[in-house]
Amino acid sequence: MKRIQRAAVLASLLKHLEEKGSWCGETHMQKATYFLQGLLEVPLGYDFILYKHGPFSFDLSDELGRLEADYLIEEVSQPRPYGPSYRLADDAWKKLTHWEGQTIARAEGSIGFVADHLGDKNVSELERLATALYATIDDRAGAGNTVDARAKWIVGVKPHIALAQARDAVREVDSIMEAANQMA
Amino acid sequence: MAKHEHEFRDPIHVFIRVSSDERRVIDSRAFQRLRHIHQLALTYLVYPGATHRRFEHSLGVMELAGRVFDVVTHPANIVEAVRQVLPDSGSLAYWRKVLRIAALMHDIGHLPFSHAAEADLLPKGWNHERLTEKLIDDVELSGLFGKLTPPVKKDDVKKLAVGRKHLKKITFSAWDELLSEIITGDVFGVDRMDYLLRDAYHCGVAYGRFDHYRLVDCLRILPKHYAGTDELALGIDEGGLHSAEALLLARYFMFTQVYLHPVRRIYDIHLQDFLKDWLTKGKFETTAAGHLKFTDNEVTAAIRAAAGKRKGKGVDAARRIVTREHFKLCYSRHPEDVKVQPEAANIICSAIAKKYGKDKVRFAPYDKSGKVSAFPMLSSNGDVVNGLEASEVLTQFPPTILEHVFVAPEIHDAVVKWLKKEKNKLIANSTSNKNASNKKKPAKKKGA
Repeated sequence: MKRIQRAAVLASLLKHLEEKGSWCGETHMQKATYFLQGLLEVPLGYDFILYKHGPFSFDLSDELGRLEADYLIEEVSQPRPYGPSYRLADDAWKKLTHWEGQTIARAEGSIGFVADHLGDKNVSELERLATALYATIDDRAGAGNTVDARAKWIVGVKPHIALAQARDAVREVDSIMEAANQMA
Repeated sequence: MAKHEHEFRDPIHVFIRVSSDERRVIDSRAFQRLRHIHQLALTYLVYPGATHRRFEHSLGVMELAGRVFDVVTHPANIVEAVRQVLPDSGSLAYWRKVLRIAALMHDIGHLPFSHAAEADLLPKGWNHERLTEKLIDDVELSGLFGKLTPPVKKDDVKKLAVGRKHLKKITFSAWDELLSEIITGDVFGVDRMDYLLRDAYHCGVAYGRFDHYRLVDCLRILPKHYAGTDELALGIDEGGLHSAEALLLARYFMFTQVYLHPVRRIYDIHLQDFLKDWLTKGKFETTAAGHLKFTDNEVTAAIRAAAGKRKGKGVDAARRIVTREHFKLCYSRHPEDVKVQPEAANIICSAIAKKYGKDKVRFAPYDKSGKVSAFPMLSSNGDVVNGLEASEVLTQFPPTILEHVFVAPEIHDAVVKWLKKEKNKLIANSTSNKNASNKKKPAKKKGA
């Protein structure tokens, strides 16, 4: 996918997340994009590694900075203690739908699905869910297939997550994956 | 009586003291090679003082890493949430040693002329971090680590030297991650601290200076409570916020004024053009022995030899470097153009290539935005907040995106004149590609 096409998909994701009440900070964009690419296989081409708050892509982080520099998104400061959030810049949606309307239309269903399932989640919930998805679909993880094995693996790499929370996250990811398969 | 401590004079840190074990690592072939790798490639053609090497930078990184370790593990600086990951006091000495050795090793995988020569000159999937990993695994260094007192595990060195970002298949404990952040961290990594201070000193610019004594003294390991998680990260005490701002401003100014200086960038491109022609199959070797045999010295000699010839491999690029007949800047990314079309620079470059020929134009994009990441800050009331949000300065930081288009000197004036007339039309008339597909079926569980 070309850069401007990725920009269109990310802008559409941001728009859908915002409509679902998401805070739309960088972590929200990172985890939603991980689901979009990792689960729905929208070919954005970002390399995700298990890092801060779960799966994280340095390429995507740079891309978000680039979108800001290209006047397509804006970072909005929020009162302490909250982190900044993103919003679409004026005219950005008009420009991107003009340039990449077909790209946006093709990804619409997948983006809507991700926003429906993640739009109301906070940072710590997103960390648990995205790490559970990583444990489930990423061959590098070696976490095993059962709910318990994956939950224990999550606690091993993220000791601040309780085992019960990890189990809940794995079960929720399994149900999101089932819904995604039905959608396909 | 044999000395157990040795010292280097250093223009940034004055004295850098090393143990006998550390000196054995410094004496290794992989480390001594860094005496012949310029820190800033051909930047000395723009800033004549910038002839310093990765050798002294790596010593500086080791010095700062040791200082940071001592500060963040000092009992008075440990907050409750950190105790669960902190090793016992007996193990701390081992980890301090690993950290300092990893700091020495962090750049040993650099190719001749550092970053300038890396793009496209290694086989797919390779970069200098992977070469560093390979050299640490190699018997010469891993054997040496095993003979130190106490022996040091090569995997520990590798994790801290290369960092999680580049070691995707290896699991890091919370402690491993914190220590690697001391060297490679995006915000407070000592690699960055040393190169900013050292590069500014040698270039003769003041942009890279900041109060690193105060900053190091204020570093703390803190939980990221502001993000709703207990995950630990390298952060600062509130008293160090202004020093942190100065560090991040220094990075911004050094990138825009030195590292991304247009003339420096075109020399990087001419160097890459030369190496693509001169190297066997246009690539550097990735074996340990192949890597160790190449330094800036061999490449510089080859450039000088090629520049004296009338024809042959790399002659044109070599001549441009040696006689300073480099390509000239004809267009730089401009906000007004970007607002109309984010791909403006790329479109302009393609149009020039179409009209004047591909060989006459070079494009130098830089899109690692350099956005400042959030970091934890310990407030005077004991709360851990987002340091980024606590700073009026850092929240206003612009992303660093630069794009330069260069053309051969003989067509420069004509291109500038042509662009004056055609640029706005080129940008306004551009459309983007609509052919890529972006919908596939959902992922499956492993083994499903």
